[in-house]
Amino acid sequence: MSVTAAFPSRARAWLRGLLAGPLALLTALLTMMGGALWLPEGAAGLDHLVVPVVFFPMLWAGWFLYACLDPRLLRGFAVVGGAALLQLGLILVHLMAAKGAVT
Amino acid sequence: MIKLPKQQTQSLLAVHGWSGVLLGLLLYAVICTGVAAVFAKEISDWSSPLSRPSGQELPTGFDAAYRDLARQVDPLFLHEVFLFPTAGGRWNVLFHVDEKDAKGQPVERGTEFELDPKTLKPLARRDGLLDEIADQRRSNAVADFLVDLHVRLHLPNPWGLLLTGTLGLMMMVAAVSGLFLHRHLFKEIFTLRRRGGLLTARDVHVVAGAWNLPFAFLLAFTGSFFSFATTIGVPAMAMVAFNGDIEAATAALTAKKLPEDPSPVTPANLDALFADARQRGGARVGFVSLEHWGRADARATVQLEAREGGLLNTAYLYSLASGEFIREQPFLGHVPSTGNSLVLLMSPLHFGNFAGVVSKSVWFALGFAGAYVTLTGMLLWTRRRQEQRSWRIMDRAVHLVGYGLPLALAVAPYAYFLLRDRGPHPADTQGVLFLAVAATLIVCAAVADDLTRYRRRLLAATGVALAGLPLARLASGGIGWSAAWQQGLASLLAVELALFVAGALYLRLALRRSATDEATPAAGPAMQA
Repeated sequence: MSVTAAFPSRARAWLRGLLAGPLALLTALLTMMGGALWLPEGAAGLDHLVVPVVFFPMLWAGWFLYACLDPRLLRGFAVVGGAALLQLGLILVHLMAAKGAVT
Repeated sequence: MIKLPKQQTQSLLAVHGWSGVLLGLLLYAVICTGVAAVFAKEISDWSSPLSRPSGQELPTGFDAAYRDLARQVDPLFLHEVFLFPTAGGRWNVLFHVDEKDAKGQPVERGTEFELDPKTLKPLARRDGLLDEIADQRRSNAVADFLVDLHVRLHLPNPWGLLLTGTLGLMMMVAAVSGLFLHRHLFKEIFTLRRRGGLLTARDVHVVAGAWNLPFAFLLAFTGSFFSFATTIGVPAMAMVAFNGDIEAATAALTAKKLPEDPSPVTPANLDALFADARQRGGARVGFVSLEHWGRADARATVQLEAREGGLLNTAYLYSLASGEFIREQPFLGHVPSTGNSLVLLMSPLHFGNFAGVVSKSVWFALGFAGAYVTLTGMLLWTRRRQEQRSWRIMDRAVHLVGYGLPLALAVAPYAYFLLRDRGPHPADTQGVLFLAVAATLIVCAAVADDLTRYRRRLLAATGVALAGLPLARLASGGIGWSAAWQQGLASLLAVELALFVAGALYLRLALRRSATDEATPAAGPAMQA
């Protein structure tokens, strides 16, 4: 069943707002933080920390525009939410490994 | 030509319009103040000149003057010293140390001297916490008021930065969606349809917006970076990579990784050190940091302005014990890196300060076009929705901010010139006057029965306010035009001439009733709220 059939237009507008607003922001934040784990460190050992911060505005704008424009709302949630969960998983694994190393 | 399905075009149109309208008034304020802030240095030099011009360079003999000052301060404050130029070519020397307050919170305390660049004699001395010292500075107050409004809308940190960062994001979204919406972009760039001898309002908006698109995107991107880097970026990265320790993250990015040695040593000559830096970099000294003065591990970081034709600043690290050059010092890390270059690139791209007055003038013009596009976009949007009462109120608000903000900004410096030497800090007096003008204009907008007349009056008042600023400066005891000419204060005279010209243009706009009223969307029918 499509979203169009499942939700009235007002509900779809709210869902679109949820996707393009808080979810897009959260995904941009997690993508930036996750970048610290999978980007190369570079000669100075800081590229993985700095480059994601520099491009954070573009990440946010990109996720925002995608969330606004994907005509299939469910696919939009899947893509944005999937990216957020992927980055969140990477970050959690890293933090737990770091905590384990300390203890 | 960029083709999109109809549904996505409609979505983009909604995104483009609403991203502009929802935060457009605040965005307009940020752009307007940013346009003026491009010339922040020139505005500071104009508003608070010294009677003798300075080359903005640390003169020979600074070393002796510095050692004399160092003997006058608490030895604890020799931990770190900053040297930086301010209005009129003054140089500030800020001795300070990191401490904890009664609640265990980190604070910085110190002593600052403001030096005459010619005589190297102190013009002022300030003691206390760094925030208190900053509050006592007055020579940069006119430009600081504009810059603070631009950077954080005078809101407390981090909220002001978060808001301006979000405005930058909205501007990026408007720019990107505008690129896709205007499918015949290259054709539209040169399309100036005429009706009765005048450009249509929409064409003017589209042409100005199309030419301005890359620049708008650039400004929005770099501005958002400056707003979010410290408020969100560093804490977020610290959480992932440093277990939430922001100080450890900052140290990892900026630490110079040199061995500690607290044994006492007589520091090397600063004049020789600065001369070496100038020779290496081929540019003027712009900022200096001296760490651990009097110790064997003392070092100096000498940051030069970008050399002529160059985009990025260079900084050199020296041992203060021996005076020897250690290495070129990146802003971030201890060896050159992509991240460091990207961060350094943000500043010239946002401020347009890489090629002197020429690049600043280009940035000013493009920024002005951005403000124009924002204002006309909002006016077009509200004008098309005149049948709804809420949009008529919005139209009133757009007129109020669009034409009232420049007036309030032009009036605020009068408080600085007339009250700077007595009582409250100029930032406060300018703020009070700015708010008083804003309140008056809000009342006038609420009762105005003809917005066209309201707009024309604001334009005329802004013209008078701008043209009167040089007279206010003279009335406050500022250096006269003849003396300024003889002393070679070209920057001061150029700013005054620009103010007279801007004032005249505003008055001309106010008086050109028929042409302006038909050419801009501000000339809609009288609003009946």
